[in-house]
Amino acid sequence: MVSKIGLIDLLYAAPLLILLLFAIAPITIKVLRGNREPNANFLTALSVVGLVGVGFLAYMLTPESPVLVFGGSIAFDRLSALTSAVILFLSAATVIVLNSHVHTAKNQLSEMLFLLISCTLGSLVLVAANDLITIFIGLELMSLPLYLMVAMSNEQKLSKEASFKYFILGSFATGLFLYGMSFIFGTIGAVDLPTIGEQAGKLVDSNRLFLVGLVFLVIGFCFKVSLFPLHAWAPDVYTGAATPMTAFMSTAVKIASFVAFLRFAATQATAGSTDLINALMWISALTMFVGNAGAIVQTNFKRLLAYSSVAHSGYIFMGLLVVMVSTDHSQMGASATLFYLVGYSLMTFGAFALVSLLETKEGAPVNVDDLAGYAKKQPMLAACLSLFLLSLAGIPPLVGFFGKFFLFSAALAEGFYWLVLMGVVNSVISVYFYLRPIVVMYMQSSEKELNTQSLVSVRSLVMICFALVIAFGVFSTPLLRLTKIAVLGAF
Amino acid sequence: MPILSVLIFLPLLFILILSFLPEGKVLRFSVFGFSLMHFVYSLYLLVAFDKSTADLQFAEIQHWVPDFGIKYFVAVDGLSIWLVLLTTFLCPLVVLATWTSVTERLKLFYGSIFALQSAMLGTFLAFDAILFYTFFELGLVPMYMLIGIWGGKRRLYATMKFFIYTMAGSVLMLMGIIYMMLLCSEQLGQISSNLLDFYRLNIPFVGGTFLNSQTLLFFAFGIAFAIKVPMIPFHTWLPDAHVEAPTAGSVILAGVMLKMGTYGFLRFSLPLFPDASSYWAWVVLFLGVLGIVYGALVAMVQPDMKKLVAYSSVSHMGYIVVGLFSLNAQGVTGGIYQMLNHGISTGALFLLVGMIYDRTHSREIAKYGGLASRMPLFTILFFIATFSSIAVPLTNGFIGEFLILIGLYKAAPAFAYVAVLGVVLGAVYMLWMCKKVFFGKESELVGDTSHPLLDLNPRELSLMAPLVILIFWMGIFPGHFLQYTEASVNHLIKSQQNYELNVKAVSNGK
Repeated sequence: MVSKIGLIDLLYAAPLLILLLFAIAPITIKVLRGNREPNANFLTALSVVGLVGVGFLAYMLTPESPVLVFGGSIAFDRLSALTSAVILFLSAATVIVLNSHVHTAKNQLSEMLFLLISCTLGSLVLVAANDLITIFIGLELMSLPLYLMVAMSNEQKLSKEASFKYFILGSFATGLFLYGMSFIFGTIGAVDLPTIGEQAGKLVDSNRLFLVGLVFLVIGFCFKVSLFPLHAWAPDVYTGAATPMTAFMSTAVKIASFVAFLRFAATQATAGSTDLINALMWISALTMFVGNAGAIVQTNFKRLLAYSSVAHSGYIFMGLLVVMVSTDHSQMGASATLFYLVGYSLMTFGAFALVSLLETKEGAPVNVDDLAGYAKKQPMLAACLSLFLLSLAGIPPLVGFFGKFFLFSAALAEGFYWLVLMGVVNSVISVYFYLRPIVVMYMQSSEKELNTQSLVSVRSLVMICFALVIAFGVFSTPLLRLTKIAVLGAF
Repeated sequence: MPILSVLIFLPLLFILILSFLPEGKVLRFSVFGFSLMHFVYSLYLLVAFDKSTADLQFAEIQHWVPDFGIKYFVAVDGLSIWLVLLTTFLCPLVVLATWTSVTERLKLFYGSIFALQSAMLGTFLAFDAILFYTFFELGLVPMYMLIGIWGGKRRLYATMKFFIYTMAGSVLMLMGIIYMMLLCSEQLGQISSNLLDFYRLNIPFVGGTFLNSQTLLFFAFGIAFAIKVPMIPFHTWLPDAHVEAPTAGSVILAGVMLKMGTYGFLRFSLPLFPDASSYWAWVVLFLGVLGIVYGALVAMVQPDMKKLVAYSSVSHMGYIVVGLFSLNAQGVTGGIYQMLNHGISTGALFLLVGMIYDRTHSREIAKYGGLASRMPLFTILFFIATFSSIAVPLTNGFIGEFLILIGLYKAAPAFAYVAVLGVVLGAVYMLWMCKKVFFGKESELVGDTSHPLLDLNPRELSLMAPLVILIFWMGIFPGHFLQYTEASVNHLIKSQQNYELNVKAVSNGK
């Protein structure tokens, strides 16, 4: 596959290239100033403007029908445009939280921003990737800055441990992914997703090597989206990382990984192997159980949210399973998955942004019990947090409920009865730990001084999430339509 | 004018206004004014209601999530009109009852009550399954707050149990709803969660086996409603919730929220799954009768007045369920009537127990004695509520239980014999409690001269007056009330096998 890179390719890749400029801008300014850190607010403003601007640009450049560029390795379509925009906005929000967070090393802000925007760039590559090599590049470009960013926190012990753990396990998973890719290339001589989809039908049953390759790919993806039994890194890393980073990882990075997984699932390469699909259904169910059971016993609020994020991966994976096997409901499954990802990101980002407000310089973890009396001191923020938690628990008419409703509908239409039953049982289990912080905030009082700083910037972000969680719940149609259109052209 | 939408969402507007008012007297008066206004507004329904038809009235239909056929569809008919009125009627009384006893975080308290009001009205008026589910679930949150913040000592345990139990039931129902929506797209050509479309579905049923759609759906919905009612063996959350809840919470919970379960049976289970509900009626009847007797027996040994009333609720709700599942006109009419009676009589009892608790801070029956001489007015009112609760003729309870027993006798005589036992047992435990509390030697608590017990003040009397009037009005002139439900009940009984409802007039096109 030799092809020239034409102007049209560059035009469609323009958002990525512009983003690259914004990524190196902060660090270049620092070097030009003789290694003196530029004004933090200036850097933040610059990055936010860049990210939001590119977000709008990416969305405006949405092609009518999918455009394959760079010799078919990148597909720009409505799916990539929508998810890129969401990821860029989340990234911009992360920059804002990062700027004001107590654990951000102020003398390294320009480096942090460079890494964060590079990571975002990797995510954008990932959501548009149309062959395994590009997926791999996207994954690495996204992960490598993350390893560093997790470690770059003023907090000394946990963040370093988390970063190292993430690095070791993450490298192992990408290793497996690469290994699987080599099997696939060995059997069919191609790595682009459409060809894999075409060839899979006859090879899955007959060719063991091909199947092993697919399994390794799935394992690689499972690690990235933290599915059982490859979820163990997530709670540690999410807890250890500085909270703005956690917010970013559990939303933007998760969306990117899931969208790449979605494109892989949409090839229906694994549909031929019922054993594999059965195993994956169990993985989905067990992920929900492990995530929720883990969250129940947590006292650390951040860790609780981390486990809840694992559980939500299990729900989302249900949608991917529909896409993997269904011939007539895959659109429904894919749009439900996207809807859930966006809704989940809003409430999770809001919750983590709130946690970041509660943290203190000393770096003591924010425990659920520390929230006592929060409702009296910060009624508005407490109401926001309650709403995010209720939405995560799936109480109607919030966005979390409709996300689950669309997912369950798609899965039931496909006949996944017991899996949906597991899903609803898990919703009930999850209510227990989502309600506990609300209990503590509203129904217990404490003498302990609570860190009730409320920065206007972070506060307004939280309010935006709050408004959207309600709006996309009560009026879910616009977002649903958007996701439907996004998946319609994509595969 | 969207009459029902205004009714449902007016309380939310009140919440918005409340948030700008200062805490204190002004807030209390405006809350009372709002709730009274809401009740008066709801009376318009009674005036404009057409009693001669079983069709849906005041219907409003709007698209909500068109891709899944979900509509915002609210309407009222004979089965729901009185429950709507009951909901709006109890609210001002609850506000009056909490005039002095709730002093902290008033905005959150009355905000929760108004939110609850919205959710309950929505539940009774929704004719779209997803809309119904939304309101059904949404009611949990404010009640959770009411119990959790203003409740007793073990309030956190009770409120958590309440929420998780109810949620556990309703998610099964959600699965059932989704299944039926998909069935709509199969049988009717397009996905829909409209209840009227659900009624048209033909759901396969095979008697004697569990693994057929209609039986499974019947149980998925049935368990959700059974937990809410609550029926044995799902009743354990109720005593905990009632004992820990503040008076306002108990009144709303017993008065209205429990009816969401029985209303669900009436609106969903009976017409949607006709084969399964007649085939499996014996299970429900058995559990209902078991609840009647069990609730009465357990109530008999309760040392705590509120817990006694709570267990009597289990018993009374059992009557309602067996009435509905008698599947004949008398039983269903009695069931509906008893829903109102129970709301009024148990509401009154909880209010009265709350009043005495405010004075003595004790609900222990053993600590009382000879209260009649100290608080004569209170005693009279308590006895009236008790008579209503134990179905003495001329009170409303008599009409309801009598109709239910006739219906049950026609449907399943054996169960009726046992259910009659419940009437006797009911009289036993209520009168025992009255005897111990009001008569006999004055106890230390009652005779305490340093804290003399004051009889009911004008505020308390005025809030009890409407309840007493209704108890006798409904007991002496049941026809005034039953004429509204008659057409709908007859339609339900006559055409249960292929139930259909028509919309009389849609107030907003579409």
